[in-house]
Amino acid sequence: MAGYALLSPSILVIAAMLVMPMVALVVLSFWTQTGFEIDRTPTLANYWELIEPSDTPMVWMGVPFPLANPVHAILLVKSILMSLAVTVAVILVAYPMAYFLAFRVSRHKALWLVLITIPFWTSYLLRVFSWKIMLGFNGVINSGLKSLGIIAEPLGFLLYNPAAVIITLTHAWVTFAVLPIYVSLEKIDRSLLEAATDLGDSRWRRFLRVTLPLSLPGTISAALLVFIPTVGDYVTPTLVGGPGGTMIGNNIQSLFLKQDDSPLGAAVAIVMMVTVALLCGLFMWAVGFRKIRKRSA
Amino acid sequence: MNRIKFIDRLASGRISRRQMLQNAAAFGVGLAALPRQSSAAEVLTCLEWSGYDVADYFGSFVSKHGGPPNFSIFAGEEDALAKVRAGFAADVMHPCNYSVNRFVTANLTTPIDTAKLSNWKDIFPSLQTAEGVVLNGQVVMAPADWGNSSIAYRPDLIGDGFKDGETWSIFYDEKYTGKVAMLDDTVAMVIGAMVGGKSYDEAHVVMGADLDAAKAFAAKTVNVSRMLWTDPTEMQQALASGEIVAAYAWNDTIKNLTAQGIPVAFAKPKEGYFTWFCGLTLLNSGKADPALAYDFIDAWLSPETGKALIEGSGYGHSNMKSFEVASADSLVAIGIKDPAEHMKSAILFKTPPNEVTNAHNKAWEEAKALKQ
Repeated sequence: MAGYALLSPSILVIAAMLVMPMVALVVLSFWTQTGFEIDRTPTLANYWELIEPSDTPMVWMGVPFPLANPVHAILLVKSILMSLAVTVAVILVAYPMAYFLAFRVSRHKALWLVLITIPFWTSYLLRVFSWKIMLGFNGVINSGLKSLGIIAEPLGFLLYNPAAVIITLTHAWVTFAVLPIYVSLEKIDRSLLEAATDLGDSRWRRFLRVTLPLSLPGTISAALLVFIPTVGDYVTPTLVGGPGGTMIGNNIQSLFLKQDDSPLGAAVAIVMMVTVALLCGLFMWAVGFRKIRKRSA
Repeated sequence: MNRIKFIDRLASGRISRRQMLQNAAAFGVGLAALPRQSSAAEVLTCLEWSGYDVADYFGSFVSKHGGPPNFSIFAGEEDALAKVRAGFAADVMHPCNYSVNRFVTANLTTPIDTAKLSNWKDIFPSLQTAEGVVLNGQVVMAPADWGNSSIAYRPDLIGDGFKDGETWSIFYDEKYTGKVAMLDDTVAMVIGAMVGGKSYDEAHVVMGADLDAAKAFAAKTVNVSRMLWTDPTEMQQALASGEIVAAYAWNDTIKNLTAQGIPVAFAKPKEGYFTWFCGLTLLNSGKADPALAYDFIDAWLSPETGKALIEGSGYGHSNMKSFEVASADSLVAIGIKDPAEHMKSAILFKTPPNEVTNAHNKAWEEAKALKQ
């Protein structure tokens, strides 16, 4: 019981800030919008609208979506693919940084950690804005390349597309990934590495057989930590994505604020959450997360 | 260029709260993100378009109350409508003749008592009774500014093909891919229907199969546009730098770019161009003293504000006296001095029924989301 008493402040906060809005969202998704009013009769109409089949499939990027309202499904798939790209990019960038911190830095480690968190000192919005300036028509990259004489005309494809969203999100989330990976690398018993070398492993084999498996728990948590929030990101695609970079978060925002259909928006939000949760569960089952956890514990 | 300047100023700490807001607001960030002035009495809160939150436009309010009201900036009326419906408490809002009806139907407004406005007697009589100012026999909007919507283009960059026959079809023509910027609004679909041969009267209420055809035009402009603009500053910078050669625009674009010495022209497309008038509406969600709201509206209707609007942005004003005090040059530049004549010279935006607006909003959002 004492444990729960200790937890109670955070339980209260979570109940007020997370559980209650979530319940409200679920309830809202079973209502319907009629003009400016909300019809409170419980119905599954919103969910049906999301999966209602159609005989004439809409083909998007070569994939047929046989749905009457395919926009939501298409955006969900697109957002998941974009987030996967972001997650892979983040891990590829963050892992070497964490490795360097854990194995190469011996003095002033705290200072290095602080340096890595410096991007957090400016607001997320400003960081996204600054990418707009980097990638813009007269932006840093274009004017740099122009003054070097590499290009004559500014490159138009840098901004307002999915790639711009992926670049910006990757930059914004790298720090979140460095820390958990660093912690799991730091925990590795150095004598294991020594043993591997003694038994004749090359550096590369030692990394693959000892370091990488032992750092997997941190890496997997980092991947989830990046993947889950980026699927629903809204502000980054709004600022640097243009219509081509639209994600499911923009769709939900537009349903709530522009299309005057908050119940449908709630249903899309819930479907997104459930899909992301299922994907994460599947992913953890596929990599055998439990076994990995046990092994490294 | 301006973008780089913005960063320089930001870096050296020379960005004012208002400039920061203006830049952030177009993306719906608004006041919520920045600290508000603390004050004992409730401060007037105004939902306003980007760029209209300048003290020149409500000078007498500032001199009487010592400072501007709080502003929350919106990119389009539907944003503002959703915000108020979600519970945002604002006292005054700046809708237009074609959008005020949405607020009235949603029961968000309070009728205006014109006896409390000292400048009301000088408002053009045609505006005092215009539809949108008066709805169901009540004054719901105090008319303030009027102007045009058309195509602003760079005559030096656009090529002769367009100059010889100015047309809205430029926004739907693949030849101009990446070179134009449409407004992020359902009007893009309505204009598409007009390019497809419909009159504005038919186009602004298209439904059913005609809406599908209009949606196909919307999909085209989504692909052709370099960006769909929500922030006039961003669009004007893109025109100035040559990133785009034409954009859906209002009079202020012409005024601002000309002032910077950039060649720019306002088209009279063959499908017609648009006109509108906007004003201030009292919202019933406000928390401030209504007297403050009346002071604010009265300030907007004053000839001094009219002078600032005419000279600063090239817009017209609702007060007849504004045209007596504005400089002769600026009067020549805006051309028409009487709003009634002005409304007749072009297509006046109209209010479609709510279900049409909702269907258009949905179709436009889908067209944007499906860009490949």
